[in-house]
Amino acid sequence: MKSLIRFLSSVKLAITLIIIIVIVSILGTLIPQGRSAAEYADRYSSLAGWLMRLRFTDLYHSAWYIALLSLLALNTVVCTLTRLGPKLRKTFRPNLEAEAKALLALKDSARFSKKLGLEDTAGRARQALARRGFKIQEQAETGRINLLGRKRTLGRFGSDIVHLGLLVILAGGIFSSLTGLRVFLTLEKGKPQQLQPAGFQVRLDKFETEYYPGGRSVKAWKSTLTTIEAGGREQSAVVEVNRPFSYKGFVLYQNSYVPQAKSSLLWLEVSDKARNVGRPTTLRPGQSTRLADTDLTLRLLRFEPDFVRDEGGLVSSRSEELNNPAAQIELSRGGEILTSGWVFARYPDYPLIHGNKASDFTVALRDIQPGISSDFSVIEAAQDRGVPLIWVGCGLLMAGLFLAFYWPTREVRLRLEGAPGKTEVFAAAIGSKSREALTSEFDSLRSELRRET
Amino acid sequence: MKEATLFNGALVLYAVALIVYLVYQFQTREKLAWAGWIIGLLGLLSHTAALIHRTLVSGHAPFTNMYESLSFLAWACLAAFLIVDRVFKIPRAGFLFLIVVLALMLLANSPLMPKEITPLVPALQSYWLWLHVSITLLGEAFFAVAFITSLMYLAAAARDKKGVKPGGPPSEKLDRISYRCVAVGFPLFTLGGLVLGMVWAYKAWGTYWSWDPKEVWSLITWFVFALYLHTRLVMGWKGKRSALIAIIGFLLALFTYFGVNYLLAGLHSYA
Repeated sequence: MKSLIRFLSSVKLAITLIIIIVIVSILGTLIPQGRSAAEYADRYSSLAGWLMRLRFTDLYHSAWYIALLSLLALNTVVCTLTRLGPKLRKTFRPNLEAEAKALLALKDSARFSKKLGLEDTAGRARQALARRGFKIQEQAETGRINLLGRKRTLGRFGSDIVHLGLLVILAGGIFSSLTGLRVFLTLEKGKPQQLQPAGFQVRLDKFETEYYPGGRSVKAWKSTLTTIEAGGREQSAVVEVNRPFSYKGFVLYQNSYVPQAKSSLLWLEVSDKARNVGRPTTLRPGQSTRLADTDLTLRLLRFEPDFVRDEGGLVSSRSEELNNPAAQIELSRGGEILTSGWVFARYPDYPLIHGNKASDFTVALRDIQPGISSDFSVIEAAQDRGVPLIWVGCGLLMAGLFLAFYWPTREVRLRLEGAPGKTEVFAAAIGSKSREALTSEFDSLRSELRRET
Repeated sequence: MKEATLFNGALVLYAVALIVYLVYQFQTREKLAWAGWIIGLLGLLSHTAALIHRTLVSGHAPFTNMYESLSFLAWACLAAFLIVDRVFKIPRAGFLFLIVVLALMLLANSPLMPKEITPLVPALQSYWLWLHVSITLLGEAFFAVAFITSLMYLAAAARDKKGVKPGGPPSEKLDRISYRCVAVGFPLFTLGGLVLGMVWAYKAWGTYWSWDPKEVWSLITWFVFALYLHTRLVMGWKGKRSALIAIIGFLLALFTYFGVNYLLAGLHSYA
């Protein structure tokens, strides 16, 4: 038992574990995670079986990776606890006895005598320490006073608070993975859906895609959602990326959208055969534009992602896939239609267009950026009770780091020995961090104490 | 003035500072060290103006693509160096450090990095962008200083061993400065990279941790610096071994920042 505790409390174990975790984590980022068996077989051939059996393909959720993290956590617990006892004792029941020899052996130490009585010297020392923010404890014996001044004692526990924070984060992570819920809802406008684990329904009232000027890049997706209680109580909110909506322990996120080919953004190019210049322009179905530097107007009447025409000449799409994208366009000049009909992305040489001056212009469909349906929105609903623990852990982690690095504990010990007509002073300062600052504070304290007036 | 003018002004000033520090390597004169620092500061001011200019024109934080974030990292590195030099007086590190800064600037300025201001995708429209990226890169800038002082330590230690009279700062001083830089960089990196990263991920994706390659690499970097601190503060490692860990740590931070984007696919596909 004892040797087990010694093993678990060693920093060497922590270092070994950290090195192992670092190495396997790197492997985990080099091997794509969570893919299909076929993909691994393709990529790693004979090695694939081993990688999958050893869970390198889903490393961060594998039992052995979690076991490594847990062992490191256990190591942290034991390590912190075994060091905590002596620290607590030092803090709350400090040894006030100060041996002159031990004091003088320290790096920042001094010995001098003052032409004052013991009590007067002690009074001066108390004042000097208090002015520098030290809290004083003392022990008096006949002809001798021991003073202990301390400040920023909490700094001593910085590393313990960091470790506590990390353990709380890990606990939160475990709690999240055990109890957390993530549901993805593809909502259709106006049709409420039951959020399975929760007692309410969610309805999409409106879904908008906002574009930046120019119309190519998306500025925002906005879903107006309404939650509906069993009793009929409703509450609405607008959800955007980075602006989720919290309701009854669930958080609703804008996750994705449903593509809609019919509202795609098309890159069309009008060429003037005589002058042989292409004029690119972008349009959505229903839009029209005046071509730059011309008196021509191009109108995009309709777009079919998978063009098909039946015997009666009726045009439709076989599917939503971009199998045979076709655009119905109309090119006009001052109200006079020059060209109109269908152009195809796949078959630029076979436009089904007709017009009185068709031969003067050609229109080509160069590129398609799929549109976004305004009837659907993909919403993520998440319930994660581990999250508060994560934030508490993060707070402890940061507070602990601050204390450990920038709140150095300082101790000044004084031993005053009364002698006829004078007092012998032995002084020393103790602090593990920021030595220069400690030395300069001790030096100023010493010179103040030595001053006779 | 245009952003490019201000940026190029900074680039030129950094190059001049580099030359001044190079001369300082051979002529250890106080005035040269002082001149290098001042020229570096002037460059930093011009660079700051370039960043502010871009922020005002684009209306968003100046680190949303590779060009912007490289430029900001160079800025943060130089700011970190000027602070460290002011506190600890290590003008000797100026030459090596300005090579790093200049390399970042030239990389940012290379034709490989598109410089157009592009509108912000919805995923990046958050004030957490400011906090998460700026604090992380500032932390990495201090790791960069520790990296340089650790390299200098290794050189100084080798010189000590050979008994050659040291030309630069004593090795113990370099070792101490490396530690102090890690002591600044580590809390910043923890706050910006891990804590604020988790906060933002939770706000944007509904989960604070997804084992995305960039997250894993940040954790790896963090673990290596934790290793640095534990070996040093608990086991009393110093000098060579500490310097090596700090060097590895910075290289890992650099890979997390740069390599992950180009070599590993994941959620952090913006910059």
